Amino acid sequence: MFRNTREGLALALPAAIFAMLLFLVPVGILLSEAFRTDGSWTLQGYIDFFASPLNRTVFLRSLKLGVLVAATAAVIGYAAAFCIVNLSPGSKGRVFGLVVLPLMISPVARTYAWIVILGRTGIVNMAITGLGLSDRPIRLLFTETAVFLGLLQLFLPLMIISLVSAMENIPRDVIPAARVLGASWPSVFLKIILPLTREGLVIGGTLVFTGALTAYITPAILGGSKVLMLETLLYQKVNVSNDFVSAGVIAMILILMSFSANLLLKRIATVRR
Amino acid sequence: MKHVANWSILGLTLVFLIGPFVIIILAGASAGQNLAFPPEGLSLKWYAKVFTIESFRASFLLSMELAIFGTLMALLLGVPAAYALNRYDIPGAETVRTVVAAPIIVPGIIVGLALLRYFVVPLNMTITLALFLAHTALVLPYAVRVVSSSMHNLRADMEEAAVLLGCTRFQAFIKVVLPNIRGGVLAAFILGFVTSFNQVPVSLFLSGPGVRTLPIDMLAYMEITFDPSVAALSALLAFMSLAIVFVAERLLGFSRYV
Repeated sequence: MFRNTREGLALALPAAIFAMLLFLVPVGILLSEAFRTDGSWTLQGYIDFFASPLNRTVFLRSLKLGVLVAATAAVIGYAAAFCIVNLSPGSKGRVFGLVVLPLMISPVARTYAWIVILGRTGIVNMAITGLGLSDRPIRLLFTETAVFLGLLQLFLPLMIISLVSAMENIPRDVIPAARVLGASWPSVFLKIILPLTREGLVIGGTLVFTGALTAYITPAILGGSKVLMLETLLYQKVNVSNDFVSAGVIAMILILMSFSANLLLKRIATVRR
Repeated sequence: MKHVANWSILGLTLVFLIGPFVIIILAGASAGQNLAFPPEGLSLKWYAKVFTIESFRASFLLSMELAIFGTLMALLLGVPAAYALNRYDIPGAETVRTVVAAPIIVPGIIVGLALLRYFVVPLNMTITLALFLAHTALVLPYAVRVVSSSMHNLRADMEEAAVLLGCTRFQAFIKVVLPNIRGGVLAAFILGFVTSFNQVPVSLFLSGPGVRTLPIDMLAYMEITFDPSVAALSALLAFMSLAIVFVAERLLGFSRYV
């Protein structure tokens, strides 16, 4: 550790000033704009925003999809992570690699695949008409289900990664020991796995919820203007109606929701202890 | 029995995660005119067509340049910061850490919008310069974090020894520190490159006439045409990302740093 603090500051400051000028200051101004109407400080922007039924619908839909995607990812994530942890070292690496792999690929490409799957001439509709379940294609794109599936595929890897690293810290013999002593699988999960992996669940849950809430491409492609989410609404407010007050309100809501999700999950995790 | 259950859960999960790529690769190889799966006969014509679409070529080059230079700039700012945070007792170190990490916490679309409205427009900046700065800000948190974690494992005695033996602090950094953290720096570069190349929301508002990053260009193309060329392009991009990550993993065990 070097003592010369001036030298240390000189090295660290360019990065800090850069992030401050390009990021904190502009974002700060954008957020504060939502509190100002006609030059005075007010909450009118927020009141007006929530007065619109469309805005309320979009807000609730984003919240609902975020929670649903995070909860589903947690369920699948626990099952998958438990299986991965129990694999032999060789296959563990390979399977883990396959789970991580989608994260390296463009979200546009990942979301685009769902058009091929869910579109009018996509596989699902081919199967439905082929099996005679319906005589014409069903609308699957531009529904909440499509957005849900797209978001789940996008963020499930993050949940699995968090849970695998949390589960690797559970001592190897604890679970077999509990089983031998007569614990049922549900009580093994509730009394051993859940408490010992709560940190992973909090990290994974926050990443998935925040990710789903703030994703732009997936709702834009799979939801279109039929299934607006907060991010796509923000884009519309700016690009279609030039409404920067609403943009600031949405930005604030997104930031607050991400932070509260993190705090709430942390709280839940500590209560369970 | 337990084995079978294990593998069927994993199998289903992997089909869900990886299956869409297989579909997109095949849909891009269709001989038909419209996007469909299963493809109407196989051909590579859409893969070939991707290279002839002028706007894709221009936006690919722009995305490449942004990813390379934006990441290099982020490293130029981030490596000294990571070094200082690990080696010096600076006042407000926590604040510096938070400020530098902030762009990762706030949704990209907000960063892009705020940057455009309160930085780019008032300063009358060109879109290209704005994109470069935005991509630098986007990658900076990753650069600082990854380099920091590899610096953390390097003992400070080594550079102190070099300094005692007559090196200046700067020489010690170049000759002792840098060679030892080069794996971390390269990992940060690759992670930054992939992040910058694939990202959409930050650049969403930062587009001008003829200035579009590749993902934004793809979104725009999809709105007007429904042919398999975007599927083919998506598949090519997926292969490119995989190749980069595979080579990086072979060269330096990339995943250790992420």
